[in-house]
Amino acid sequence: MTLAPSTRARPDDSGRPVPPGGWLGWISTTDHKRVGLLTAATSLVLLLLMGVLALLMRGQLARPEETFLGPHLYDQVFTVHGSGMIYLVMTPFALGLGVYLVPLQTGAPGIALPRLTLLGYWLYAFGALTLLAGFATPTGAHAAGWFSYPPLADAEYSPGTGSDLWIVGVFLAVTGAILQGWAVLWTILRRRTRGMTMLRLPVFCWAMIATCLMVIGAFPALLAALTLLAAGRADASLFASNAWNIGYQHLFWFYGHPVVYVMFFPYLAAVAEVLAVFCGRRFFGYRGTVLSLLVFAALSMSVWGHHMFATGQAANDYYSLTSIALLVPAGVEYFGMLGTVLGARPRLRTPMLFALAFIPQFLIGGLTGIMVGTPVIDYHVTDSYFVVAHLHYVLFAGSAFGLFAAVYFWFPKVTGVLLDEGMGRLHFWLLVAGTNLTFLPMFALGYLGMPRRVSTYAAFDGFGTLNLLAGIGAALLAAGMAVFVVNVLRTLHARRLGRARPAGDDPWDGHTLEWATPSPPPRLNFPADRPLPPVTSFAPLLDLKRREGSRA
Amino acid sequence: MRQRHIFGTVFTVEAAIAGAVFLAVLGLLAWTLLRHRGTRPPAAAERSERPRLEAYYVGALAAFAVFLVAWTAWQNHREHPAAGPRPLRVDVTGFQWCWTFRYPGSPAHRSVTGTCEGRDMPTLVVPAGRTVQLRLTSRDVVHSLWVPGLRYKTDAFPHHVNTLTLTLDRAGRWRGRCAEFCGQRHHTMDFWIKAVPPRAYDRWVHGGTATV
Repeated sequence: MTLAPSTRARPDDSGRPVPPGGWLGWISTTDHKRVGLLTAATSLVLLLLMGVLALLMRGQLARPEETFLGPHLYDQVFTVHGSGMIYLVMTPFALGLGVYLVPLQTGAPGIALPRLTLLGYWLYAFGALTLLAGFATPTGAHAAGWFSYPPLADAEYSPGTGSDLWIVGVFLAVTGAILQGWAVLWTILRRRTRGMTMLRLPVFCWAMIATCLMVIGAFPALLAALTLLAAGRADASLFASNAWNIGYQHLFWFYGHPVVYVMFFPYLAAVAEVLAVFCGRRFFGYRGTVLSLLVFAALSMSVWGHHMFATGQAANDYYSLTSIALLVPAGVEYFGMLGTVLGARPRLRTPMLFALAFIPQFLIGGLTGIMVGTPVIDYHVTDSYFVVAHLHYVLFAGSAFGLFAAVYFWFPKVTGVLLDEGMGRLHFWLLVAGTNLTFLPMFALGYLGMPRRVSTYAAFDGFGTLNLLAGIGAALLAAGMAVFVVNVLRTLHARRLGRARPAGDDPWDGHTLEWATPSPPPRLNFPADRPLPPVTSFAPLLDLKRREGSRA
Repeated sequence: MRQRHIFGTVFTVEAAIAGAVFLAVLGLLAWTLLRHRGTRPPAAAERSERPRLEAYYVGALAAFAVFLVAWTAWQNHREHPAAGPRPLRVDVTGFQWCWTFRYPGSPAHRSVTGTCEGRDMPTLVVPAGRTVQLRLTSRDVVHSLWVPGLRYKTDAFPHHVNTLTLTLDRAGRWRGRCAEFCGQRHHTMDFWIKAVPPRAYDRWVHGGTATV
């Protein structure tokens, strides 16, 4: 994705050692829009790759006693799918969205710490390559799951370079995320334009504050856990002590639960922006939502033990209390979304469809989240397909729908052209059907006793029909994603030929400052000859349009 | 079977509440989408903050959370009562990739194991109606002993012993599985748990095979 045709000479190119339009210009850029785009585009490419791995798994499980993949390959595939989606897709895309949008929404000419932001992208990209390089080693990629408990992940039970590459790759990618988190947080705190008080920040910026606080507070625990794992791979006697085995789980989940909300808040906030814009009104309960995001982020640091109810080594009552308490801030956010939509007359364009579907679909993930946060229920369903269903409702039916709402919503801002509406709708409906057909049967599979991470199952287990349904759903998802890829590539191709319909600065009647600048925005975000509208609330453009409307 | 009954109660209650909430939200969304079809747009009256309404729903959510935490914690404690007198002790060891069940109190130090390949699945034999205490550990990596029919599992850690207390009210046979990913043959690590009448158990534990 280039922002401007590279053939057109720019006046400020003269004397520059690196032309901004070339690939070197891209990877050495300090423009937050380019770094954000690089991060988001890399994670979208990886999303497709991880989706292919998911298709392989659904193919293997579609029938009982299938031998299409074989256990060792299956274990690598589910490990890289899970690690990839969490460390390399949903987290980086969320931060990339923040890197791109936050300076625009706060009226800043650039991001704070631009070089560190770029370094964050490099670390992420090299981390991703390192992790994937595991497939090229003789013993294959890492195969101990995305949380890689010792002793299974130590050098004795997981020999091979693939596991070492996994540790290095995840370490690099997560370090990159921490750097980008600092940059986004610092931009919001220090680089807001005149008049933009903290309580006039858009909802998305507030969600990024909560997100970055969790990134900064919780992600270092993963670095510590990975260091522990690396030490244990060098000296296996480390994991001859239960303290380090259970200690790893505590360290890991101290990261592992906040990261779920890192992969949720930015998408929730993208949905909130889309809902407000397409209903033509302010987001309902702004202050309550801001407060609930902060409470949510704070509580998220104290819930990790609910992943360990069955270990017999966690204070289950305490972690159940903190986990169930989350329903209060989550409920406030839901009332905010419902209050925005109810009584409005929404314009049902593609971004709005994804945002509307997010509400009930994520709700399934959230409500089953309360169930798995209840120890008595969790003893049965943890490590079963029930949890697989739950986490995919949260991260795919929820967050990924928010991701696509964001892509369709901000694509015209980023490129200056709109994605095709008809193909967008087809993408949406295929994804809705595919998502629910794939993940709904998994609740039943888990309840009936199918453990997660099994590479096959016996015919007499009776899991065949439900797994076949999930496989058909996965095929629909693949078809939907193919439509999306074709839509993006065709639109970008038409744009390069100059045949695409220009979107204009503000195609959706947006509320926030990024819609008050050309699409794509110039190097310093806002043209000097066009004053920023006064920031009168968290929806300054809505205020401006209302004032103009009442004057006319 | 205590675990199964308590799970059933809590799961039914939470699933019913979750279903009601889901349908209510879905209904509200559908209503708002269908209501304005073909009519004129509504007046632009809007209030984006309603502190009193917001305080009400925060209060309702908090009260519901308090109820849920307290009630489910009580159920959790009901599920784990102090062990009664003289439970039957069985030492369970998970390993890659099967299980060993040892009966340290039995005269012949009876022990059952297998390979978990094909039909060679070990059977944990227990007397029906008597409290059984499984002392659970692992020889290598973390495993997890799960009996889906009893709605319960506990992890088996190396260098650590977890206890799992259960009572099977009636004779019967249930499938057991490993729930924690433990390597390439994780999916084959199945076993049977079989409850037999006390007299049959006594015969079996003394070396007989008649009923097993």
